[in-house]
Amino acid sequence: MAQNCNLSIRGKVIHLENNESIPGAYIWIEEIKNGAVTDLDGNFQVKNLCPGTYTIRIQYLGHEDINDTINIQNNSFNKTYRMKEGSLDLSGVEVHGHKDAVQTTTAITALYGEDLLEARGESLGESLKRVAGVTTFSTGNSIAKPVIHGMHSNRIMILNNGVRLEGQQWGAEHAPEIDPFLADEITVIKGAETVRFGPEAMGGVILVNPGALPTKKESTTDLYLVGATNGRMGNISVKHQGGSGKIQGLGYRIQGSAKRAGNIQSPEYYQRNTGLSELNFSGTLGYTGKNLGTELYYSYFNTELGILSDAHTGNLTDLEAIIANGRPFVEGDFTYDIINPKQKVSHQLLKFKSHYHINSNWKANLQYGFQSNHRQEFDKRRGDLNEQASLDLELFTNTLDLFVDHTHENNFSGTWGVNLIQQANSNVPGTGVTPLIPNYDMLNAGIYGMEKLSKGPLEVEAGARFDYRTVSTARYIGNDLQQSDLTYKNFTAFLGAYYQISNSFTISSNLGSAWRPPNVNELFSQGLHHGAAAVEIGDENLLSEKSLKWVNSLEFSDQKASFELTGYLNRIQNYIYLNPTGDTYVSLRGTFNVYEYLQANAFFYGVDFSGSYEFNKKFSGYLKGSIIRARNTEDDTYFPFIPSDRMDWGLAYKVGEDGKSHKFTLSNMLVAKQTRVPDFDLAPAPPAYALFNFSYLKAMPVGENKLNLGLQVQNLLNTNYKEYMNRFRYFTDDIGRNITIKINYQF
Amino acid sequence: MKTYQKLPFLALSAAVISMSSCSSEDPVPENDGEVITDVTLVFTELDESGATVGSPFSFSASDSEGIEVGTSPEVDDVTLEAGKTYQMEIEVGNSIAGEDITEEILEESDEHQFFFLGSAFVGTTAPLSYSYDDEGGINLGVKGIVVVEASPALNTGNLRIVLRHDLNKDFEGADNPSFENFVNAGGETDLDITFPLILN
Repeated sequence: MAQNCNLSIRGKVIHLENNESIPGAYIWIEEIKNGAVTDLDGNFQVKNLCPGTYTIRIQYLGHEDINDTINIQNNSFNKTYRMKEGSLDLSGVEVHGHKDAVQTTTAITALYGEDLLEARGESLGESLKRVAGVTTFSTGNSIAKPVIHGMHSNRIMILNNGVRLEGQQWGAEHAPEIDPFLADEITVIKGAETVRFGPEAMGGVILVNPGALPTKKESTTDLYLVGATNGRMGNISVKHQGGSGKIQGLGYRIQGSAKRAGNIQSPEYYQRNTGLSELNFSGTLGYTGKNLGTELYYSYFNTELGILSDAHTGNLTDLEAIIANGRPFVEGDFTYDIINPKQKVSHQLLKFKSHYHINSNWKANLQYGFQSNHRQEFDKRRGDLNEQASLDLELFTNTLDLFVDHTHENNFSGTWGVNLIQQANSNVPGTGVTPLIPNYDMLNAGIYGMEKLSKGPLEVEAGARFDYRTVSTARYIGNDLQQSDLTYKNFTAFLGAYYQISNSFTISSNLGSAWRPPNVNELFSQGLHHGAAAVEIGDENLLSEKSLKWVNSLEFSDQKASFELTGYLNRIQNYIYLNPTGDTYVSLRGTFNVYEYLQANAFFYGVDFSGSYEFNKKFSGYLKGSIIRARNTEDDTYFPFIPSDRMDWGLAYKVGEDGKSHKFTLSNMLVAKQTRVPDFDLAPAPPAYALFNFSYLKAMPVGENKLNLGLQVQNLLNTNYKEYMNRFRYFTDDIGRNITIKINYQF
Repeated sequence: MKTYQKLPFLALSAAVISMSSCSSEDPVPENDGEVITDVTLVFTELDESGATVGSPFSFSASDSEGIEVGTSPEVDDVTLEAGKTYQMEIEVGNSIAGEDITEEILEESDEHQFFFLGSAFVGTTAPLSYSYDDEGGINLGVKGIVVVEASPALNTGNLRIVLRHDLNKDFEGADNPSFENFVNAGGETDLDITFPLILN
């Protein structure tokens, strides 16, 4: 038998402590005096090997070498190597900052680098539209909530630097209280991740993560200047980070941003009172040593934003009149002034995090977060009441996480821990309005564990969690004190697998259960919702939502092409939705629709796809899109506000090398009409639309520094359109042409 | 190094302390200040010279619950006599917070305006006509003149009163007290009541 010397071995090199892949690690095979370097994902391949025994050495700066002896007879060799950080005692060895990667077998997409640069200046929700399968549920142009696979608000979770963001997420007009400039990378996990992150992460999780802190003496500053024509928006952000020369491993970062915008313009008119102003700040101080790492993080988010004047209707007749008109009655003009109705929101987050390496395999972690959220909503009222918020809520949240991680060079890694969430919500007295939601105290305790087995190209992961929650509420309706004590408990579990079929093909599958206790507004809402001219009534007896989501994803990437296909099925028991009762309520003010919170079984399924192809060195193209189907399986009807089918594709032309290039992109967004709508809606779903966008990016070195310049034109043709997922489609056309200029200087 | 290692435990104790010390405030009853619970139309007969005749009489609409889900408002029938001219004053109040809202409307007269609609005021067969007679000659409708046809084509009808807030009072046609397209002038409705009208 002739010797077959066409065998190859494949493998992956990752950090032992956080499972993040290591690009640029050196693989050396002693016997053939040849080797390979890992790619961006930490993968490597060595070809043209004959069957036999080989000695492999893996090296990476600042890490302990790995020596392995392998025997190969066929092409099936594929192994994951975990590298341990070198000890501090060795002189000249670097200590790396911590940036914990998510270990998950679920479909995951990250926004970073050039894509994130293009998104700078946009809100978190708007930025995330760049990820296939993510859309927004918006209230005008300044309030955009991310929607993952048709789920939003309390059905998804947002993590601000590892802490679950606890704001008043229940409201459709409550945008996430987070500054996207914080992030170096925004990651979307599209699976049910209740086990890892706690209740409510049913539809998916969004991680807004800053980069790793410097651990040696160096300092970098990142400056962003963004200006946009529509709304005459100006946005500035500065980020500075550095490391201490005296104490190795000590690093800091400070970051701040400010944003101001006036009335935005639809193609034919200004939308009155749609300006906003934002002021954000964050600071981090961290120490990373051989065994111990600690981080102290603070972030402050503060916004004041106007609500389209015409969206504030007095009664149903008013509402019907403006809907029939399809646009505001009053021609607006440009101003930066923000008047009532408006929102003022501030959010503070303080986080302390520490980890301790018990030994080379086990790590103990502690994370404590304190959050304070203050939301004030001002309505158009009479006289002095205009100065008083009609909704004034203060929410305090404490979160405590204690967990241990372990990673073993052999096959297992995992996390075990407990999680406590304590929350107190108070209505600030003096609003002159019976509160929409009561004051409440909530305590949630969870215990969880998950393990992952990595065996060459295969990773299998499973986990389980148990949660217990108590909620006690109190509110006066008139002079009648109403109190409730509620408890919820639930068990969730998941099973997932990831398989690397070849160097360019991977497949993953994840089946996970998730739950969400009904939110306080769903339980206790009672009052008038001005924008919808509706009286909304909660139901104290609602049960927890329980879902089972199966996500499958196929990824392909080689030098020229990349492709990703994600398909999912999500069955939800007791899905809570706001249903028009068909009744109207009559008062001296006029007539209002009455809505009630109901529960039904639901079935969501869909696919997301994204791909790109380089035709040659200069020309490339991309395509991405998503399709979602959602049904009320009990009544055989549709739910409101489910995104319609959509697709975005574009062609790019790039000249120059990396670090000194010009890139032109012309893209086209196609959005179908939502034909799967509930029987009742205030207005029919708007027609399909197509938008053209243009983008130019220039990267150039300035001495040792880096300058990025960007010019973007959104809605190039100034098309009149309405988006089904925008609640203000009842009142106005969407935003017209917008030209944005971005300057980013890194020094 | 040793002090660093104590940090997690210190933080844990701090966390436990702050967790136990953070609970919601006791709720406080709110007086719904914005709600209108009572609207009263006060009529006084006028003679040909415009002087008042006799004593005023009134009709009211009330909804003690305000805007909350509950009972529908109670609305009186408005009974007037054919061929007569009346001064009509509108009183608006909030019995929950004990507020006189008429006063607030007068203070913000540039932002408010009443419109008088329904079959009582609109159409060729309308038995009533309205003209503003507010202090300072503004178009507001807190005070006005109602003229009843001498031989009305209808002897019943709907008397609809709408109070608009934050409208453009200079909008073309908005000077007409019975301007049907009042929504085109912008703003929102604070009151929209229909009184049954009976003419004797």
